[in-house]
Amino acid sequence: MKLFGVLIPEKEQLIGTVGDVIKGKAGLSLYASIFGLLIGLYAIGSIFIRGHAHTINTSSLVPWGLQISTYVYFALLSTGCTFVNFFGHVFFEKQYKPFASRIVFVGIITAVAAFFSLTTEMGHLERMYYFLLSPNPKSPMFWMAIWYTCYLIIITWEYVNIQTNRHSNRVMWAAFFIAVFTHSTLGSLLGSVSSRVYYYSALMPIYFLFIAFLTGCSLTTIIAAMTVKQKKLDENYHLHPFVTLLKVGLGLALLITFWRMMIGLSAHLEGSEVFSLTLINSVLFGIVVVIVIPYILLKIGQSANWLIFVGLFIMGTQLKARNDLVVGAFKIPVFRVYDMPEVIHYTPSIYENLVVVASASLVAMLYIVFERSGVFEARNIKEEH
Amino acid sequence: MDQFDGKDIMEIMQEDLLRALKKPRKERRWAMAIDLKKCIGCHACTTGCMSENLTPPEIHYRPVKEEEIGEYPNTGMRFLPRPCFHCDSPTCTPVCPVTATYKRDDGLVVIDYKKCIGCRYCIVACPYGARSADSGHYFTGDFHDKTYEVENSGEYGGNFKRKSHWHSPIGNARKCHFCIHRVEKGELTRCTTTCLGNATFFGDINDPKALITKLISKPNVFRYKEELGTKPMVYYIT
Repeated sequence: MKLFGVLIPEKEQLIGTVGDVIKGKAGLSLYASIFGLLIGLYAIGSIFIRGHAHTINTSSLVPWGLQISTYVYFALLSTGCTFVNFFGHVFFEKQYKPFASRIVFVGIITAVAAFFSLTTEMGHLERMYYFLLSPNPKSPMFWMAIWYTCYLIIITWEYVNIQTNRHSNRVMWAAFFIAVFTHSTLGSLLGSVSSRVYYYSALMPIYFLFIAFLTGCSLTTIIAAMTVKQKKLDENYHLHPFVTLLKVGLGLALLITFWRMMIGLSAHLEGSEVFSLTLINSVLFGIVVVIVIPYILLKIGQSANWLIFVGLFIMGTQLKARNDLVVGAFKIPVFRVYDMPEVIHYTPSIYENLVVVASASLVAMLYIVFERSGVFEARNIKEEH
Repeated sequence: MDQFDGKDIMEIMQEDLLRALKKPRKERRWAMAIDLKKCIGCHACTTGCMSENLTPPEIHYRPVKEEEIGEYPNTGMRFLPRPCFHCDSPTCTPVCPVTATYKRDDGLVVIDYKKCIGCRYCIVACPYGARSADSGHYFTGDFHDKTYEVENSGEYGGNFKRKSHWHSPIGNARKCHFCIHRVEKGELTRCTTTCLGNATFFGDINDPKALITKLISKPNVFRYKEELGTKPMVYYIT
């Protein structure tokens, strides 16, 4: 099986891209993503060299912060891409075909970018081999690691199949179901923690799946809109499936966000006052800004440029919503002593923010390089012949 | 010194401890009882624990909660020391992905400092806030020039010096371990010996002759947040 030119860009293309970067002809978006990746790598390096005490604002009171929420965000993006790939192939085959390889590829690189963030959060990354030596099958985190490995293998297999014109429905279905298992397990990682009322819910795995679908729809809509513009395809014909999926995603997100909020507000468990505390944010931001406004924006227009804007809007607001979800569980301390405030506030450090930049820039840079090289068109050229 | 049945409490607990150590480990069940009527909120146990285990800033294995109860003119203060409860049905041990934290056969919930990957899932899972994350802070700032900051505390009988963030216990989860490094040498926990009001009792509740077993069999005993089903092994006497 040919690797260069089919799965990854040709060597000459890669060398040419590097040459363009050096000569200043690479384009603003590639330069911006390279710059973002460089400063992000600087932040990641600082975290590893200087340690958490000097770089990270998480603590015993807020053990999970922006790095975990970024990991969750990119993991959901990846799942969403897999979902869109599945629904696109099943329900909108002809309209979806030009975007399949791009979307699955982005699903792979967002999954990898998620780990960028996760590695900086761990206290002892060098001990990860204990996952193999002394695993704990009772731990949702252990199963998340297992399923994540399976997920990466299957979506890579799906990408290889698409690129080599051997698309298999069985692999596609397997990718879909493994994505469901993986990210519902990620949801259960939070949902099974009975000590944190903000997390503890049977709805959490489903919440993760529905939000993944919405977030993935927004990213894939951006990819599809950019491709339609670049290849001058019929906007209405090719973008209609993505608009439909986005609307479905917004509906599902509204349903699950509303009920999670209502169930939390009705709880009389210790710590459930956090739902009242975050009510205004949950309604104004979590529902109006994150869900209602994008729906109104979709009604206003559906051109390629407008859809890129809507997609970016949803992606940006979802990142904040993920951070609100992860950090929200620590707002009320479980055992308040000494000068602990009644409500804990957490602000990510500049290094934590730059890790987010690193992850996003990695995705952008890899996508731009692969897109420039035409590797996604290799399949189409083979088909024509 | 306080007495029980005419004998000094510390002497009784010391005898109980030595008797328990003669048994196989799996036949022991370590527990603690804290008499809230005697606790004066002096925080000697907190500071004694910090000096015993050389804990860094923001990590307290045994903080003392101070609560004002009642309304003027009928007000009072209540002090609640909170070590790790070494629950019989802990929520922290099932979530550790690498089995770095586990419940021993003598009832102690411990952390293997060499295995802990620092994911902090156990800290999130503990409903009592008994666990802390050691991020690598020092009382003496960047240059941590005081010996006690980097000295080996002997926790778990090991040689863990806080030299850098690449060395445990920095990067790990940390918590009260009932001074296991002292107990296994025949010494009571630091908080038990430091307590000014003799409010803390420690022993083996599998021993019917132990002082702690007699104390917790009374009706005026409760466990913190018992409704969670965690079966804590720290009892409060009211």
